[in-house]
Amino acid sequence: MAFVELNHVDVSYDKKKYILKGLNLHVKKGELVSLLGPSGCGKTTTLRVVGGFVENQGGEFILDGKNLTKVPVHKRNFGFVFQSYALFPHLSVYDNVAFGLKLRKLDKKVIDQKVKAVLEVCGLTEFSGRFPKQMSGGQRQRVALARALVIEPDLLLLDEPLSNLDAKLRINMRMEIKRIQKQLGITTLFVTHDQEECFSISDKVAVMNNGVIEQYDTPENIYRRPKTEFVARFIGFENFLKLKKKDDFVYQDDNETEFEVILAADSENACIGTIRPSDIEIADDSRIRNVLTGTIGVRTFLGQDYQYEVVLAQGDKFLVNLRTEEVYETGQSIRLHLPKEKLILVGKSVD
Amino acid sequence: MRKNKALTLYVVLVFSFLLIPLAIITVTAFGGESVIRFPISSFSLKWFVNVFKTHSFRKSFAASIIIAVTATLIAMLLGIPAAYALSKTKSRTSGFIKSLFLSPTIVPGIVIGFVLYQFLVITFKVPVYFGLLTGHFLVTLPYIIRVVGSSLEQFDFSVEEAAWSLGCRKPEAFFKVVLPNISSGISAAFMLSFINSFNNIPVSMFLTGPGVSAFPATLMNYIEYNYDPTVSAVSVLLMLCTMVLMIIVDRTLGIASMAG
Amino acid sequence: MKKSNMYILVVPGLLILFVCMALPLLKVLLPTLVSGDYPLSSYVEFFKDEYYLKILIRTVKIALITTVVCMIMGIPASYFISRCEKKWRGLLLAVSIFPLMTNSVIRSFAWINILGSNGIINSIMKAAGMIDRPLKLLYTEFAIIVGSVYLFLPLMIVTVSGVMENIDNDMMEAAQSLGANRLISFMKVIFPLSLPGIIVGGILVFTGTLTAYTTPQLLGGNKNLVMSTLIYQRAMAVGDWSSAAVVALIMIILTVLVIRIFNGIAARLDQRGE
Repeated sequence: MAFVELNHVDVSYDKKKYILKGLNLHVKKGELVSLLGPSGCGKTTTLRVVGGFVENQGGEFILDGKNLTKVPVHKRNFGFVFQSYALFPHLSVYDNVAFGLKLRKLDKKVIDQKVKAVLEVCGLTEFSGRFPKQMSGGQRQRVALARALVIEPDLLLLDEPLSNLDAKLRINMRMEIKRIQKQLGITTLFVTHDQEECFSISDKVAVMNNGVIEQYDTPENIYRRPKTEFVARFIGFENFLKLKKKDDFVYQDDNETEFEVILAADSENACIGTIRPSDIEIADDSRIRNVLTGTIGVRTFLGQDYQYEVVLAQGDKFLVNLRTEEVYETGQSIRLHLPKEKLILVGKSVD
Repeated sequence: MRKNKALTLYVVLVFSFLLIPLAIITVTAFGGESVIRFPISSFSLKWFVNVFKTHSFRKSFAASIIIAVTATLIAMLLGIPAAYALSKTKSRTSGFIKSLFLSPTIVPGIVIGFVLYQFLVITFKVPVYFGLLTGHFLVTLPYIIRVVGSSLEQFDFSVEEAAWSLGCRKPEAFFKVVLPNISSGISAAFMLSFINSFNNIPVSMFLTGPGVSAFPATLMNYIEYNYDPTVSAVSVLLMLCTMVLMIIVDRTLGIASMAG
Repeated sequence: MKKSNMYILVVPGLLILFVCMALPLLKVLLPTLVSGDYPLSSYVEFFKDEYYLKILIRTVKIALITTVVCMIMGIPASYFISRCEKKWRGLLLAVSIFPLMTNSVIRSFAWINILGSNGIINSIMKAAGMIDRPLKLLYTEFAIIVGSVYLFLPLMIVTVSGVMENIDNDMMEAAQSLGANRLISFMKVIFPLSLPGIIVGGILVFTGTLTAYTTPQLLGGNKNLVMSTLIYQRAMAVGDWSSAAVVALIMIILTVLVIRIFNGIAARLDQRGE
């Protein structure tokens, strides 16, 4: 039984353009689930529907069996961390964190205890008396987190909490968040556009596009078996080939070149072959299946590899990463081998 | 955001408070009786005609317009270069100088009128007209400095540097590159100054004399001796002009600029 | 910009300003400090005189009440405007600004219509049989207050709504997510953060009412003098220019004092954090 349920949620302001259409999402208790996607895909709207800031025109939101669709924000008891942190500038760190507890009319001593405890967990004890404008981005982020956690919420909702931090801090903070989340066992929804960040800490990921969830699975599964072209592109697959099914595990492209795969296609619709630039090899002359010919175009240096833009015989451009031991020059002919274990079949995206 | 019904109601009351009195005046302007009456029992446009017929109104209206325009132009001549200089140097000195230019706002209008009357008219026998002009100049200058100043604040001065690098001399660059780009700020400043000068009463109270009177002062005198809808008619006409001017300012700089 | 260049552009304006304002002010007002038997004697006389003191107190009282009423009416209106969608916001701001651009004679005249003995309020109450003789609403302190509120409320609304607009909507949502309903969120978050702007608005209304002339003259008449109408009366009607000068200087000092004190408070409260 899911802890969090979004069932057939519609969000639209004018009945013509739908920001969310028939969205379904089920989250188990204690899970950290991420909503991943480009800007405009609806991930923030989904989070805000759960938070109560956005009204949905259709569908329902159920928490632990209770229908909370019509419950106003201030009665939901969710911890919300805003992208801008939304710390109260006129209150000290201590008062910011205590704000929610004071509203719940708890005993002064109890409040003090809880605030001090959460400040300790978040490494903020020495900043208790400071004001937001005296603190760095990373510190403010932690205050926002502490303030949301101290009220012992039923859900923790994070709206791109790390996007305003620099790269190194981001990595440290995401581990902090994961550690605290696991320690408290709190069900968490996390919105981000950063694929690496999302995959590193989530139990499950919902990849969203145009108001719809295209794939909802563990990071490992998504990484190995993206289901649609959009998801594949989002997680790093670059090269796409239109294929027709010939036999089980054998597909053909427009030039009648045959491609063998070992991972069965999900559905009849999955007819686009895709492969990572780093998974492509050079084909030796004996190979006939899973081969593409082309000419080398632009070469860029990536550190471990060179990345080549290869213009294929049929006109498409493929990106291929090859070790720097051998260098290929622009204009050279080349035969590429797409290993059958690495060639993935995906379907077209829902539009 | 879901709106609170009580708040909306309260705000509606507040705005009614603001608009209803003006609406009442408008209605009385069309009354047929010889005294002001609300609601009106008959409809007539004769009071509007009366406005144009009354000599003192015509004369002081023209006088106020001329003074407002002249004062504003002088303020612009002195104020725009000053605002330009102030916006390019950001230091404690320039901040202090800016507050000097804005200092007339601290002196009550009535005091300015009083002091100028004593100093210019009585002591130095300067004609009242010039005293009035001086007083209105003091009213308009702060508006020029403030509005043109904030326009310049949003101006990207690297455009000026680009002009210099292409061979333009500094004064030339000012007229060719800076002024055209702050023209909306300048016209808004002109409108604001003009309106505030025309509407100004305290300064004009003392600085009246034979044949010289500002329009609002004439209006005030009229009210103290007559209680007929002519005043309502004048009000309606003035309100129409104000609306037109506001629309013009909105087209150039936007309503928010008038908030200062 | 080179220092010398800046001075060239600024000096003409400053010079004219000096000649037109500073010089006259000094020439007319300074003598009052030393006139009489001993320095500042004119001022001591002023504060000892019951008549003058009454007027001073009346002026300050009216300004204070006007400011408070403007805040009570203006702050909710400003909040409403700041939370509106863009298109409504522009319209409401324009409606607020329009009275500001209208001549104060007209605005005061509007209340003569309403408060006069033949005015609307009295007509309605007479017709409803509530009173036999007209209420004396005009030419009272009450009338001045109503007129002043009418005059300066737009200023308060425009100032405060500008400040409130700059407060991130996130703040309200954060407070609500922590359990505060809309009223509490306003009182504990929006209001404290708007305080600097509210104080600035208060200064504008207070000093404006303190120094206004038209409204007290038209709605208060000669029986309810305030400082500005006192100056005019002393100078033009009575011919006592020196007392008028004394009153003038007191007005300036009062204005500057109020501005300084409340600006200081506003600056200290400005914790929006930049």
